[in-house]
Amino acid sequence: MQRKSKNIKSQLFKVGFFFLIIGILVLISLPLKKLKGEVFEEMRLDIFEANINKDNTTINNVNTENLTVIEEAEEPKEEEDKKVSYSYIGQLSIPKINLKKGFVSKESKYNSIEYNIAIANEADYPDVPMGNFILMAHSGNAYISFFDKLYKLEIGDEASVSYNANTYRYRLTNIYNQAKTGTVAIYRNKNIKTLTLITCTHNDDYNQTIYIFEEI
Amino acid sequence: MDLNLIEKILTILKMPFQSYLTIEILLIFILLFIFLIYNERRKNKKVKIALSALIIFFFSLLVFYFYEDMVSVLNEIIKTIMRCFYFPNIIFYILTAIVSLSLLIYNIFKKNNLKLNKIITYVFTLIHIYLFTNFISLAILKNISLIDTVNIYKNDNMFVIVLSSQIIFLFLVVYKIIFHFYYIKNEKLKNE
Repeated sequence: MQRKSKNIKSQLFKVGFFFLIIGILVLISLPLKKLKGEVFEEMRLDIFEANINKDNTTINNVNTENLTVIEEAEEPKEEEDKKVSYSYIGQLSIPKINLKKGFVSKESKYNSIEYNIAIANEADYPDVPMGNFILMAHSGNAYISFFDKLYKLEIGDEASVSYNANTYRYRLTNIYNQAKTGTVAIYRNKNIKTLTLITCTHNDDYNQTIYIFEEI
Repeated sequence: MDLNLIEKILTILKMPFQSYLTIEILLIFILLFIFLIYNERRKNKKVKIALSALIIFFFSLLVFYFYEDMVSVLNEIIKTIMRCFYFPNIIFYILTAIVSLSLLIYNIFKKNNLKLNKIITYVFTLIHIYLFTNFISLAILKNISLIDTVNIYKNDNMFVIVLSSQIIFLFLVVYKIIFHFYYIKNEKLKNE
């Protein structure tokens, strides 16, 4: 009788232990996913930086004397673009909140806030004079909440964007909120090149915050 | 950084007397040591439990006061493990291949081994070494430098090969640990 009771206790202990392990795994799965995202992000940025360095070396090494121009067919380039759709074309960096994140081209299927910091369709690229480079991302606790610390920014804080082997430096000049209605009104000085960051307002489900940076 | 040996020893000796806090910390650790030594004679179970609780309490206090630092350290540790798993540098990858190779050779020559254990070990180690060989040959074929980690992971094929072999290696390690414990437990039962 005692042996039977011991057996039941031991089985109950095993079942309890199993559920405890499952519970712990469920609890830590989200933070682990976030950390995994960070590790992959570091590698993507390293690849992006390595590509920029490679491009710069290539540009510096081009010998313009006796240069012959060879016309290339368009098709292989398109194929290549599709293949490397997750390659970053640039990088946003905000030192104050320790944010360093790459972005893909507007045409890439990964240009979505579900994967990355996304470039808005209406945005100009950073090399366009007087253009407005608009980036959007989630905030909150999910592993794709790349703008989760933007609320810590204050007027005067700096950000930089690396694009096409150039770095564009910006300073925060305006922060304002708007209701989430599906559209955003951007108020900016059209005579200056700007960077606009859009994300949900911190601890607020009904508003979004717009951060306007002007080029230094 | 540029201290000689005597200066390093002197620094260690001076360290506990730099402030009241460091003196207190030193006294606490000396007391703990005396209690532990004294209890080795008395062998009092309650004292053992109390001392363990006290040590855990001290570390809990540290965690409480430096919570954010502790979390960031823990994050960094997990990230380092993840980097070793997803994007190992070539030295780490070669080390795992050497471990697999050693296990394979050890398994070939080991007597009194379970047949099933031998087969499972052969499967895991051979797949791992096969993937490693593929990795090296791909690097030679595509002229990829193995010194630069970024260069390796730019190539999708290389990334997939490394990731698969890391998964196989992880399975091998987990299997070996579980088997080892199971084997020891069975041996103990037999002896009893």
